[in-house]
Amino acid sequence: MSMVKRSAIVDKLRRKRMLELLAEGKRIDGRGPLDYRKLEVEIGAIEKAEGSALVTLGNTKVVAGVKVKVEEPFPDTPDKGILIVNAEVLPVASAYAEPGPPDENAIELSRVTDRGVRASGMVDLSKLVIVEGKWVYSIFVDVSVLNTDGNLFDATSYAVVSALLNAKIPKYVFEDGEVKETGEVMPLPISNVPISVTMASIEDKLVVDPNGEEEGVMDARLTLVVDEEGRLCAGQKGGSGSLRPEKLMEAVEIAINKSKEIRKVIEEAVKVGKA
Amino acid sequence: MLIDEKGIRTDGRKWNELRPIKMEVGVLKNADGSCYIEFGKNKIMVAVYGPKEVHPRHMALSDRCLLRCRYHMSPFSTTTRKNPAPSRREIEISKVLREALEPSLILEDYPRTAIDVFVEILQSDGGSRCAGITAASVALADAGINMRDLVSAVAVGKVDGKIVLDLNDVEDKEGEADMPVAIMPNLNRVTLFQFEGILTKEEFEKAYELALKSVKKIYKIQREALYEKYFEGEVKVE
Amino acid sequence: MVKRKYVVPGDLIVEGDLRASTNTFKTGNRIYSLRVGLAEIGNGSVRVIPLSGTYIPRVGDVVVGEVIDISAFAWQLDINSCFYGYLTAQSVFGRGYSPSKYNLSNKFKIGDLLLAKIQSFDRTRDPMLSISGPGLGPIERGVVIKVNAMKVPRLIGKKGSMIRLIESATKCKVILGQNGVIVVSGEPDGVSKAIEIIRLVESKAHLAELNRMVKELIDSWGVRDADR
Repeated sequence: MSMVKRSAIVDKLRRKRMLELLAEGKRIDGRGPLDYRKLEVEIGAIEKAEGSALVTLGNTKVVAGVKVKVEEPFPDTPDKGILIVNAEVLPVASAYAEPGPPDENAIELSRVTDRGVRASGMVDLSKLVIVEGKWVYSIFVDVSVLNTDGNLFDATSYAVVSALLNAKIPKYVFEDGEVKETGEVMPLPISNVPISVTMASIEDKLVVDPNGEEEGVMDARLTLVVDEEGRLCAGQKGGSGSLRPEKLMEAVEIAINKSKEIRKVIEEAVKVGKA
Repeated sequence: MLIDEKGIRTDGRKWNELRPIKMEVGVLKNADGSCYIEFGKNKIMVAVYGPKEVHPRHMALSDRCLLRCRYHMSPFSTTTRKNPAPSRREIEISKVLREALEPSLILEDYPRTAIDVFVEILQSDGGSRCAGITAASVALADAGINMRDLVSAVAVGKVDGKIVLDLNDVEDKEGEADMPVAIMPNLNRVTLFQFEGILTKEEFEKAYELALKSVKKIYKIQREALYEKYFEGEVKVE
Repeated sequence: MVKRKYVVPGDLIVEGDLRASTNTFKTGNRIYSLRVGLAEIGNGSVRVIPLSGTYIPRVGDVVVGEVIDISAFAWQLDINSCFYGYLTAQSVFGRGYSPSKYNLSNKFKIGDLLLAKIQSFDRTRDPMLSISGPGLGPIERGVVIKVNAMKVPRLIGKKGSMIRLIESATKCKVILGQNGVIVVSGEPDGVSKAIEIIRLVESKAHLAELNRMVKELIDSWGVRDADR
């Protein structure tokens, strides 16, 4: 991501140093190849949102909020509610993030996050219908990136997932020919929890949760999303390099294992948030 | 039902069969390189302009060439008219397409210049990004850009519980999983990987292996197309 | 003995202890092609003669350029490349040049054609041109045609044999820029014939029997002219 200032010479030296360290199974910030940075999930940070989560992953910080509207369904899915995930990198996030419409990096971030949530069937959209073909719940999850230091993909996904798990949305009914708010709230119909695991490939060596410096010199980024049953539900390679074919299956193995660890952290945070 | 009891798909193919593919190189006279591809019902025109001077000037990179890609669907390419303004999907595909082609190119050989790759979907079917990458790589070779390898792409997925090769439109929309993959066949490296759907680890591996194997067939067609234009097809492609 | 082979990018040309020359790359002892073209294996090295591509300047090349802009210190030339060529006023008027004394457009105007040499060029700077040298300078007359710059070596031929053949068969003067810009001057009929040969060479540049095809074309005119 173009969130860090790049210098060809500094990158070259940094890459050399990283490769030396990786040969010994170490990373520049002292982690092992398969260690995440400290992950903190604060649930319900934004009271006015229907659900929210502030995720801190090392120095990367993102906040997600859920808002709800009642709308007409899309014509091709009259029997389903609407779910929209959108991420933006705010100008506060780094000296090199600029205000304006989301660039291709932010669009990719939104779409890959959305893909994991959607493909896993996390929110059962068929249960978000008030009147079929007429009125459905429209769930917006907006993510604001507040500080960037690598791995926005995982941080954004964890924030979205946690905010959806935490959300209590106003309940509507259809009475006397109109949609009315009941004054009650209800949790979202959750049927699965996808966990994203992102890796950087540097000369075909995989490291999880790359920080900003590592992303600056990586050949490729690989995101894999794993559902509750340990199945794969979304994936994306990014970056302008390539990787050996067998590396992808190695990444799948890593993602399935690491997702269990992350899942515990998120479940715990949601539980604390509810209590 | 997308696969019948005999294992035949909606368009008559078996699980591991590709749709018919036709490629023609050098079809646009103004472009430095071009390629037209028909891949199933996909009809895609790719033009490459460059290396050329960079506008706006400040975007130029001092140590290498600026590669720009645009994947765009014509308004008439789909059943219901597509708004000609670039959608978020098209912006994302433009990005992954660029990242799929970039590893094959030696951009350091053309500092302070730009290469533009335009992938125009005239008619869309399933797998348009893979067909687009396949044609774009050939158009880049036609433009005479220094490149280490061609890039060949194909999608695999899961339909009616079965792993299948090269998803068509219906299979893409109603299938259970879709995985576009691009590789550089000689260097044996993956340059594009995307995935959406639900697959167990075993299914994932089976689908991925199928993609790696089948992409070599696409590669053969790419070479034949280049031979046809440059060597009048007179030399047999091994 | 030189062995030839048709190649596309990524094709393995040869395995062995050979030097990877132009338009090839080597990993281990395998040499691959970077371009669509004709690979030549021999004399301890491997190279590829490309059949497509944009003209990239090389120091020493003689090119045909068109003046497209004039500043106080230099003419900017379109040299049919991704880089513009610059001809400095100092290189034309000498060290005593001062913008207050000379007006550059009195010497060469926008649209003028120049035959110039690439004096210097590297990764960080645009090509600098020079017109000092035999035959270099403004081109006063002729028909301009463009061919793919990669085909220019075939137009020159072995030790200039092809270009001499074209000139003698058509009684035309052919100025051949290594950037693929060609200026043909002479009688209208001769110019048409010269262009016909140039187009034939361009389209059949990859074929070994190119010389025979050109001679056949010329011979067919000879018969026609003799009939008259």
